[in-house]
Amino acid sequence: MSNGLFRQSTLNKGGSSEWPYWRSLAATLSNPYIERWKEKGGAVVGYYCTYVPVEIIHAAGMLPYRMRATGSTSSELGDVYAWYSTCTFCRHSLDQAMRGEYKFLDGLVALYSCDHVRRLYDTWKAGKVELPHSPYYLHFLSMPFKVEAEVEEWLASQFAGFRRSLEEHFQVAITDDALRRSIEVYNEKRKLLRALYELRKQKAPPITGTEVVEILIASTAMPVEEFNQMLKTVLEELRGRDGSAAHTTRILLGGGELEDPEYVRLIEDLGGLVVADFLCYGVRDFWDLVDEGAEPMPALAKRYVQRVSCPRMFNHSRRQEFLMALAKEFDVDGIIIQRMRYCDAWGGESAMMHWDTRKESTPIPYMVLEREYLMGAVGQMRTRVQAFLETVRG
Amino acid sequence: MAEKYQLHRMVHELIKSSDEPGLRMTAKYLEGVLRVADEGEPIVYHGFTSYTDIMVAMDLQTICLEGWDMIGVRVDPDHAIKSIDAGHEAGIPPELCSFDKAIIGSILREILPPPSMIVPSLMPYQNSVIGYQAVGHLTGAPLYTPDIPYYMDDEGAMDYWVRQYKGVISFLEEHSGRKMDYDRLKEVVEESNRYVEYWLEAVELQKLKPAPWSGAISIGTQAGIMAFGTPEGTAAVKGVLDQIKDRVAKGETAVPEEKVRVIWFQLPVFWDTTLMNWMATELGAVTPFVLFDDYRVEPVDTSSPEKMIMGMAKRAVETPMGRVGRSDYDLVIEDVFYALDEFSGDCVIFASHPSCKWMSNAFGLMSDVLRKRGIPALMYDVDLMDRRVTSAEESRTCPSTSSPSTPTARGVRTIREGTCEETRVCCRRTRRWPGD
Ligand code: SF4
Ligand code: SF4
Repeated sequence: MSNGLFRQSTLNKGGSSEWPYWRSLAATLSNPYIERWKEKGGAVVGYYCTYVPVEIIHAAGMLPYRMRATGSTSSELGDVYAWYSTCTFCRHSLDQAMRGEYKFLDGLVALYSCDHVRRLYDTWKAGKVELPHSPYYLHFLSMPFKVEAEVEEWLASQFAGFRRSLEEHFQVAITDDALRRSIEVYNEKRKLLRALYELRKQKAPPITGTEVVEILIASTAMPVEEFNQMLKTVLEELRGRDGSAAHTTRILLGGGELEDPEYVRLIEDLGGLVVADFLCYGVRDFWDLVDEGAEPMPALAKRYVQRVSCPRMFNHSRRQEFLMALAKEFDVDGIIIQRMRYCDAWGGESAMMHWDTRKESTPIPYMVLEREYLMGAVGQMRTRVQAFLETVRG
Repeated sequence: MAEKYQLHRMVHELIKSSDEPGLRMTAKYLEGVLRVADEGEPIVYHGFTSYTDIMVAMDLQTICLEGWDMIGVRVDPDHAIKSIDAGHEAGIPPELCSFDKAIIGSILREILPPPSMIVPSLMPYQNSVIGYQAVGHLTGAPLYTPDIPYYMDDEGAMDYWVRQYKGVISFLEEHSGRKMDYDRLKEVVEESNRYVEYWLEAVELQKLKPAPWSGAISIGTQAGIMAFGTPEGTAAVKGVLDQIKDRVAKGETAVPEEKVRVIWFQLPVFWDTTLMNWMATELGAVTPFVLFDDYRVEPVDTSSPEKMIMGMAKRAVETPMGRVGRSDYDLVIEDVFYALDEFSGDCVIFASHPSCKWMSNAFGLMSDVLRKRGIPALMYDVDLMDRRVTSAEESRTCPSTSSPSTPTARGVRTIREGTCEETRVCCRRTRRWPGD
């Protein structure tokens, strides 16, 4: 545990053991884990969205890396190819790519998450991005738009194509046994995260939403086995610890891309406590497991079709049911849906969620918080969140 | 009931005795919709990239959601605005496509007859994916969306797509209680084959230089979204073809002196019906190609139900705009150059409907290739349904200053505001979102 990646946590002031320094992992694009991985000759494959089956990348012996634009301060270069109505996450990420900030990546996988991500991928494909070597691995998955058993077979064939392309490009074999092991280790990660979320159900949770988001982000930028070990340690430490009584309002935070924990901190600094989420990095990514008893490829296809969906899927009513169930289980006082400006998916979904939430017998206070990738206009956001929290408190 | 759907009733009244084939088709269509709405019979909502042939064969009345508002806005330019604002008020963000916002608003305003079934647009644009979910949500009607593979040449993609497409028939059978009669379908497909034949002939004539006609010949395409597979739809296209043929025979051209040929890579501006005419007469800039007209398909083999379904499925992914937006940006570029080459285009106008992100979100790539080929282009914001974003007057400022007839350009560069003096690409941004 003395690899230099651990440090005292703010939450762990009175504790004796070490605490993973999640914040630093979430605060930079690359990190010592990735550097170490690369030093050993390992390949890192980036992916833009939670519909990419990370298990297949892992079974190929590679490190899956969820794309972020962390550290970006401008989108000037990205804007040459994107448009002003491209969501700012994609513009910043393209900017980073054009500046060569993702040089540690050996490849990239994307899918039609939205019109923003797919055109971002097209710009990579068109060679507008500084790539460390050529030929560079680029792959695009044809992900169905509906949550129906009838599309699973097609997705399984897409996953098979993805598996083959990794094998061919990197000259590796992805065996079924390796896939089974990867499924197990990712399932373990998901179960551990659910255990972490269980603790958030407590009256005074022993961890803040900001810290959870840091953990979630870090989990997508390091070897999953090491993450699982670290999370086990965290769980041991958190169990039995008293939580903070400073927060009075329990919040469920939903929406799309959110990779800056400072947005969560803004809510928590004002006395809210994010105890549950419906985020890309959060429950939508880890809630559902892959069936370990079934054949790996069909099992993966089933899981990625049937998992708690994003608004890109025709499945609003099930998402709404899930959201309401979460709100109840975590005993939340209010729901905040943050959405990036120009994000069509969350623009429509957040409106529908609002319509539905209002129809509940005891409606939970609900707010849509529009934001940009970079945290600007903090004062205005604080005022809005503060007003919302006051309404919630009554 | 009789007082509902006033605007469309009025349109029907206005055109019901017209002899013009396109108007006759629209009148027949409106008559069908209004009768079925009044009598409470089933109505199928569908998107403008899902043509009507299957529903026609099942004798189901259709409403093309985007088409409903396209009709409305041509009579009352504020029609869409009222619905768009109703959408905004309900929390739909301004940056969603105005078609989708208007549809949602029209449902909320109860100016759209309610559906029994929904078959969304056969193109997975984010806006329509989210818009049609909202339509399903608000109306509570069952919805079936056939899933289109991203790359049609992926292994197994066509088989998958055909299965998905067949699902439309099963869905309609299940929810309407009507069985598909494949002999009837054969008649309908043969009718639609005639439509396609006339259509392609008309489009072919637009390639003549000088062009016989400027602007969308899309009344025929509107036939696709209202009456594909009906004799009235075919007659509407035949009417367009005859008119163009007649002009060619008489040696008539769109304008006496064709100075520039414009590739209009977008749907027309529905509320500004005189724009292309103005470009032609004021600037000599004739528009032989409009994206709304780009429907390049083969006749469907009707020799067996299987072959017929296969042919229909193939055709279904090629509808105007549906084709070009469903895959990667290479296809967008390929289609722009197809239009430039086939229609002898001198320049391209991308009327960048602000929410049309499938097209605009990689505009830089387009600029690069156009610059390499030395093709002048104009990229400007204009909302096809909402005249508040860029007014008719503003639209007329932009194309004239960047018209390739007065080239001032060294190349293509995207700029942020205003017209660009030193380039042949103009990118004009109003940044005025309705609801801001
Ligand atoms: S919201 Fe869902 S679909 Fe969109 S980027 Fe996030 S994980 Fe992907
Ligand atoms: S935030 Fe929305 S627009 Fe941006 S990448 Fe995610 S889903 Fe796409």
